[in-house]
Amino acid sequence: MTDPSVRDAMPREAVIVAEKICKEIISGGSRLSILDALDLRIDAGESVAILGRSGSGKTTLLSLLAGLDAPTRGEVFLAGQKLSALDEDGRAGLRAGRVGFVFQSFQLLAGLTALENVMLPAELAGLRDAEVRARDTLDQVGLAARVTHYPHQLSGGEQQRVALARAFAAGPAILFADEPTGNLDVATGASIIEQLFAMNRSRGTTLVLVTHDQQLAARCARTVTLEAGKLIERGGLAAASSP
Amino acid sequence: MSTTSEPEPEPEPASASSGFKVLPVLSTRRAAARHAYATVRRGLRSGDLRVLALALGIAAAVACGVGLFTDRVQSAMDRSAGDALGADAVIRSSTPLPADLRAQLRGIGMRTASTAEFPSVVTKVVTKVAANDVNKTVSSVDSEALANAAASATTDASTPGADSSSDASSGGDADLTQLSSIKAVEDGYPLRGQLLLSDEPFAPAHPASGVPPRGQAWVDAKLWTTFGLGNGAQLQVGSIALTVTAVIFDEPGRGSAFADFAPELLMNGADLDASGLIGPGSRVQYVEQLGASDAQLLAARKLELPRGMRLVTPKDARPELKQSLSRARQFLDIAVLMTLLLAAAAVALSARQYGLRMRDEIALLKSLGARRQFLLQSVLLQLGLLCLLAAGGGVLFGAVAQELLGRMVAPLLGVSLPWPSALPIAISFLVIALMLAGFALPPLFAALDAAPLRVLQRAVSSNSGARGGALAALAAVAALLWLQAGEVRLAVYIAIGATLAAAVLALLAWLLVRLLQPLRRRSGVAWRFGLGNLVRRGPDTVAQTVALGVALLSLLLVTVVREDLLNTWRGRLPADTPNQFLINIQPEQRAPLAAFFAQNGYANVPLLPLVRAHLTAINHKPVSAASFEDPETKRWINREFNLSWTDQFGSDNQIVAGQLFTAADAGKPLLSVEQDAAKRLKLKLGDTLDFDVAGQTYSLTVHDLRSVHWDSFKPNFFMMTPPGVLDAPATAMRAAAPVQWIGSFYLPKDAALEGGTASAASAPASASAPASPSPTAPTLARAPTAAHTVESADAAARGNPGTTASLAADAGAGSDAGEHRRRLLRELTRQFPNVTVFDLDAALGQVRGIVDRVINALELVLLSTLVAGLVVMLAVIEGSRAERVRETGVLRALGASSRIVLQGLLAEYAVLGLLSGSVAAIAAQGIAWVLAVQVFDLPYGPRPLLLIGGALAGCVIVTFSGWLSLRRVLQAAPRTVLAGGN
Ligand SMILES: Nc1ncnc2c1ncn2[C@@H]1O[C@H](COP(=O)(O)OP(=O)(O)OP(=O)(O)O)[C@@H](O)[C@H]1O
Ligand SMILES: [Mg+2]
Repeated sequence: MTDPSVRDAMPREAVIVAEKICKEIISGGSRLSILDALDLRIDAGESVAILGRSGSGKTTLLSLLAGLDAPTRGEVFLAGQKLSALDEDGRAGLRAGRVGFVFQSFQLLAGLTALENVMLPAELAGLRDAEVRARDTLDQVGLAARVTHYPHQLSGGEQQRVALARAFAAGPAILFADEPTGNLDVATGASIIEQLFAMNRSRGTTLVLVTHDQQLAARCARTVTLEAGKLIERGGLAAASSP
Repeated sequence: MSTTSEPEPEPEPASASSGFKVLPVLSTRRAAARHAYATVRRGLRSGDLRVLALALGIAAAVACGVGLFTDRVQSAMDRSAGDALGADAVIRSSTPLPADLRAQLRGIGMRTASTAEFPSVVTKVVTKVAANDVNKTVSSVDSEALANAAASATTDASTPGADSSSDASSGGDADLTQLSSIKAVEDGYPLRGQLLLSDEPFAPAHPASGVPPRGQAWVDAKLWTTFGLGNGAQLQVGSIALTVTAVIFDEPGRGSAFADFAPELLMNGADLDASGLIGPGSRVQYVEQLGASDAQLLAARKLELPRGMRLVTPKDARPELKQSLSRARQFLDIAVLMTLLLAAAAVALSARQYGLRMRDEIALLKSLGARRQFLLQSVLLQLGLLCLLAAGGGVLFGAVAQELLGRMVAPLLGVSLPWPSALPIAISFLVIALMLAGFALPPLFAALDAAPLRVLQRAVSSNSGARGGALAALAAVAALLWLQAGEVRLAVYIAIGATLAAAVLALLAWLLVRLLQPLRRRSGVAWRFGLGNLVRRGPDTVAQTVALGVALLSLLLVTVVREDLLNTWRGRLPADTPNQFLINIQPEQRAPLAAFFAQNGYANVPLLPLVRAHLTAINHKPVSAASFEDPETKRWINREFNLSWTDQFGSDNQIVAGQLFTAADAGKPLLSVEQDAAKRLKLKLGDTLDFDVAGQTYSLTVHDLRSVHWDSFKPNFFMMTPPGVLDAPATAMRAAAPVQWIGSFYLPKDAALEGGTASAASAPASASAPASPSPTAPTLARAPTAAHTVESADAAARGNPGTTASLAADAGAGSDAGEHRRRLLRELTRQFPNVTVFDLDAALGQVRGIVDRVINALELVLLSTLVAGLVVMLAVIEGSRAERVRETGVLRALGASSRIVLQGLLAEYAVLGLLSGSVAAIAAQGIAWVLAVQVFDLPYGPRPLLLIGGALAGCVIVTFSGWLSLRRVLQAAPRTVLAGGN
């Protein structure tokens, strides 16, 4: 589906650059290395699927790239900004309105209705039409009828769609999604994938997806696999031939 | 499972088939224990159970600490009241105690000492030795003393029981006579307290080493001054002569000698027979002093006492002490109750949260195959473990704290605190068990009902047990109140107050949530989010507001109680409360007395009138002792009542029924009756009482009923008329009523006195109270009114420039004041020998001491109330912390700056705090008013500052503690906050 020539034809700027990032976790006295001097460059408008076995560090990588966590060593540049140079607030400000995030376990706020959850990023970005946007996005993911429902009243898949809608609503330039279709049936999953790539096409949204879903991975321009703390490129023909 | 409980005798063959069944049951119990232990450990470590344990610990510490402390102080106080009685108890009778009864009492293990008291005329024997002793100055006054002694003898002779003075005044100018109260005592007297002697009147005192040896007499200052005695003087008592060897400075149980205001002479009981004073017809009151433990007293109460004999225990004596102590108890009870209720609230809150968490775990365990019985056992064991841990720790802490407090207090008390009983410890455990059963069990039971389906779908929640939980909580509160409130009235007030406060809080919180709704759309993101949170969590917000409000209420109440009530209470007995009390002033002495005081720098010593009267009829039906069942009332009827008049009552008199006199009532035959007296005599408004005053009958109609604060140390009377009734001028029809006057003033304290007799309680004042054992119970009381107090203090300061009216300054100027005091009192008794001066310093000091001590103890308890309030707040804030932490993480991940997150949180907490603070302030006002007016009889007005202060304090405290609990989270990376569920 993806055409490597498109990538090559238009020189793009890198929106996400990871340089030799390491993540080590010290627990119970022993040091656990999750990511080991990992390099990654993602250009604007690209779509990247991150694959890997359970526990290989996909979520960890995603949160490092989004600035939700800091690497033990190495640097992450997000939208041209060196994340380590920013404080926690600076990183949050960088994300506001620009970065969408779909958590593996959704992380909907229990006290907010579906609508209010979806409105949050737009509100934080100071957008005036937060509610209209939120309603539209919920409509898009097929939850127009559930706007006033609270997360605990929704099924797992419905919660996942609210989480997706929340990530879409502010029209982010970069969207991180941790297993966005994990809880969805084939048809619903396909419709969500369709929306993701529609955004990618129409607004040039950069997609960084963690997934086990072969169908989804196949739609991405690039596929990388996380193994033993390193990335193995396997996207498209070019990627497949690279070491 | 049930089959296992049936005994299976055949071991081998059965094991193959039933062994499979037996095993799970045995392991269920053990596994439950293990699970319970692990859960509690984990809960304490992770913090889930910490607040719960803390709340339980505080409750146990307070219940136990205060329980033990009051138990000890109470018995110490009973003891010191016993000191005032001179014994642990006494038996009063008009005949000697039968020998077999005394043997019986000794059989129980009691110590006994007999005393006999009677009035008799004492004659001064002027021997050569004595004459030599009398120096010039004294003999120059002798004629005056004689005249006064004679006058006094005449006055006192009107008292029933004045002994026939057949062998009295022999007339010659060598002999002086004086009607005196003779007390013959036996070895061992006094069984309690200390008899203090001095070498001359008002000189420094030393304890007596026993009773007067045979042939010797110890006399009080009045007799000494009247006769102008010197050491070694001889007094004729009946047919024997006794040598005076000491002046009685202070004597335990002096209250009873106050009876006839007669001077006192103490002699050895063995001389009694020789004196020939005891015979048929003599009016002797026998007082058998008893030294006994409480258990022995209980046993003694069961003994059948012969007619006319009465057992009097310290509880029956010292009404002003009793009132102070019971007020103290009430203060403590309230503080303890508040602490316990707060702790209960904290337990309820944290147990609810714990229950909610357990719900998920239980659902999971169920889905994994855990049986209900296993879970039930585990939950019960968890609670048991917590009870042991928290109550054990709390009790230990409370016991140590009260021991430390006791050590600080014991020297102030002047007595060592006795070892406490174990009952308070048992009660503490009961309190904790109650709290757990009432507040922690219901949410955990509800958790037991969690459906396994919950694992899959959170929304599946069972609301069963909500009603049961409320009922359990109510029952627990009722039981707590019953256990801890000494008084039902108090318990009811507090219960109503707490319920009302909670209801008002809930209502206001609900209204606020409504009001916030439109605000949400207008404000910035942060406020919108913060306020939105409040609105969204509607019911939770209401619950949190109520809990925070209760916590803040406790903080405010602590302030109010400390600042207002305690200070008012303390201020009731200012340092310059009159401590000298004058009685028996004859009308014609008023002017000379005023001159005397003016000369000595006391510009205005107010005098109050007193008329002695016999009650002869109620509603025109003649009354006698036989008309009443109650022995105390019988005695009342037999004695004289003291009537006085006024149209201005002090604030220590409060109207119970009818209205106080006004100027318009002057001259009307009306009567204002103290309520206890009215109860005793079964009087109601409109009843007519006939009084005989020196042969004249006065018919007085009951116009109003009053309550009197006897612990105010102000002069008060059971029966008062308006002016112009008893003091009506003589007419052709009736003579004017004989009036004597009483007065009081503040005399700067003597340093020597302070050191020597601080613990010895001489309490003539008790004569004025209804329960008093004194034969003249319905009599006057003690000190002047507040307005006069200021004047006399001024005067005292002016009269002696070296001293000020404050107690603190006394210490420095002790010797000066001591000298001034001695000189003044000596002069007073010399110039007005018939006037009796009572020194109330000891009694005053004791009441003051109790007030101060109780305030110390209270401040400690209030501190724990404060801590309990903070724990409730902690429970509220911690309860929603996990949720908030996750929220901040998500918000930050979505790009919210920490400023916005913080603003949102602060907005939420600030509004929450403002709301709970203002409601708490309103509630605190209400409760303080009820406590002040209804319980402590203290004046109390609205405090607008408290309202503003309360609201602001609530806002600041809640916001600050919220910020404190979340400030770290705001700095952390979102991923670490969201860890576990990324
Ligand atoms: N806070 C932590 N403490 C200890 N180990 C952690 C922590 N967070 C993550 N890990 C470990 O780091 C490794 C990577 O975790 P991560 O969540 O990135 O895996 P993943 O690839 O997303 O797995 P999955 O596909 O199952 O979601 C795991 O082995 C995990 O146990
Ligand atoms: Mg993951």
